[in-house]
Amino acid sequence: MERPIAYDKLAREERFVRMRARDVAQIKIDQGEPPFPDLSTRESIKERVHGIMVGEMQAMEGAGRSVYDFPDAPWEFTLDMARQVWDESRHLEIYLRLLEHLDGYVGEYPETTILWRCACAEDAAARVAGVNRGLEGLACDVFNQLVHIARRMGDPILERAVDFVLADEITHVRMGSKWLTRLTEGDPERRRQAIAFQETIDERFNLGGVRQDGDHEQVLISIATEARQLGGFTDEEIQRLIKTTQRSQVY
Amino acid sequence: MYPLDGTYSVEHSARLLRHYRYAVERMMRVMGGWLALTPEVSAKLLMGRHVWDNAQHADALGRRLPELRARAQESTPANEGVVAFMDALESPETPERTVERLVGLYRVLKPHVLAAYETHLHDANAVYEPPTRRILARCAEDERRHIAAGERVLAHLTPTPESRARAAAWQTRLESLLAAAGGVTGAGMPPGTARPSSPEGEAEAEEFIRLETRPPCWPLPEPLRAAVQGMGDALVARDGGGVRCWLADPLLWNETAESALAAGRFTSHAVVAVARIGRQLLVKIRLEGPSVSATLAARWAGGPEGWRAHALDVAPARSA
Repeated sequence: MERPIAYDKLAREERFVRMRARDVAQIKIDQGEPPFPDLSTRESIKERVHGIMVGEMQAMEGAGRSVYDFPDAPWEFTLDMARQVWDESRHLEIYLRLLEHLDGYVGEYPETTILWRCACAEDAAARVAGVNRGLEGLACDVFNQLVHIARRMGDPILERAVDFVLADEITHVRMGSKWLTRLTEGDPERRRQAIAFQETIDERFNLGGVRQDGDHEQVLISIATEARQLGGFTDEEIQRLIKTTQRSQVY
Repeated sequence: MYPLDGTYSVEHSARLLRHYRYAVERMMRVMGGWLALTPEVSAKLLMGRHVWDNAQHADALGRRLPELRARAQESTPANEGVVAFMDALESPETPERTVERLVGLYRVLKPHVLAAYETHLHDANAVYEPPTRRILARCAEDERRHIAAGERVLAHLTPTPESRARAAAWQTRLESLLAAAGGVTGAGMPPGTARPSSPEGEAEAEEFIRLETRPPCWPLPEPLRAAVQGMGDALVARDGGGVRCWLADPLLWNETAESALAAGRFTSHAVVAVARIGRQLLVKIRLEGPSVSATLAARWAGGPEGWRAHALDVAPARSA
């Protein structure tokens, strides 16, 4: 089997429409609309949930590739990645059902592959740093905020389901923190490269100031400090992330 | 039979576990790799669920090995024939070969592994081999659930006689390779077992299939539905002028778009996807012909003249 899988090889049913994230954003801007759903309406929450559903599908596929792509990695690494496949497959099911709950359907918004492009590092340490700490860290931010907004809206279905997913994501971040350390033990250069890869992903998903440290109601994506701490991010790392969000280019 | 009579020595038992582990570990890795290559949500969810179960099986078998004076977490193929069988099982990679992927897993390898576990369970001594027996019993229980779920999804994905014949042909090919290898243990094929039933597995598969179901009717405003119908009709009729009248800019229907569809003769069209981008709608239609199909995605916006396509993306025609 080919290793790794290019983004245009991700297999999808016909009901999906795949586009570059920047093209989707530009088309919306051209219509005078915000490039990212702002969670202020049920419609915008549905669009965010659709984006998360697609992200969970790619996360399941990505964890599956980590099971396949690294046969020489420690067995416990493979076990963790296999566990993550199971978690992500349940998350996919959860978000498919949440989409129904919000009167949406699969394919209602385009799928972008920006997450997958970040998940294709050829080194296992870089991949867990990028995926489990970069992308799953982003998931913690997004889900933590969604739980808060669901609670405020009085939607216990959304609140409860997403909160369980958030708990899993914190576990995945923890796995990333563990394997970044173990896989790079005695190899500072490998560790440096893995962390640099993660930082490029963090920078990309600051989305030009969309992700910030701030109140859930005030910013589009708020940094989930407590969830990140539970996942093994140090206070210094969280502060560094917050600083980078302040200097990110506008999208 | 005397209660302390036994079929297997310690070394033999360890060897069998290494052979099982080779098949299970490789199956688990292949399923993980296939998730990205498999379009159908039902099949993705099915395999996504089973990767972790099989990883746990490989782990339990691997942890048992040091208790049998062998190295932990070691996988060994019984012979080159088993490797060849697994290579063949892994070979269907393209998106349209989901049926072959599932047949290899759920109609060939898993039923065989289940039969091997059941034979081993039957033969292993009940007094001094409970640690192995308990692991095998747990693995067998999961495999029964997997096979039942896999069968249900396979039935869903093989609705036509042609697709069922394709599945049967692939099954025959893999089974002959497996038999030539003497099964995953190399010691010959265990007696086949009846197709297991598992209400839990079947119910799970039913839900995966339901989640794959498209909306009964695509949510299009009526004027747009008429516009999409008009453009589809023009494409089927190879009427370039008819296509252009639905475009915001007639130059969008250019040589590139036209030549992408030139290879095929189409007899019908249908909407297969509708995505929102702000106030615009991206509508994907599939053009069908006796021997080829193609898709065209058009991004539509409403205006004073009605709905017009502002962008076109044509995927070249390919054999149906």
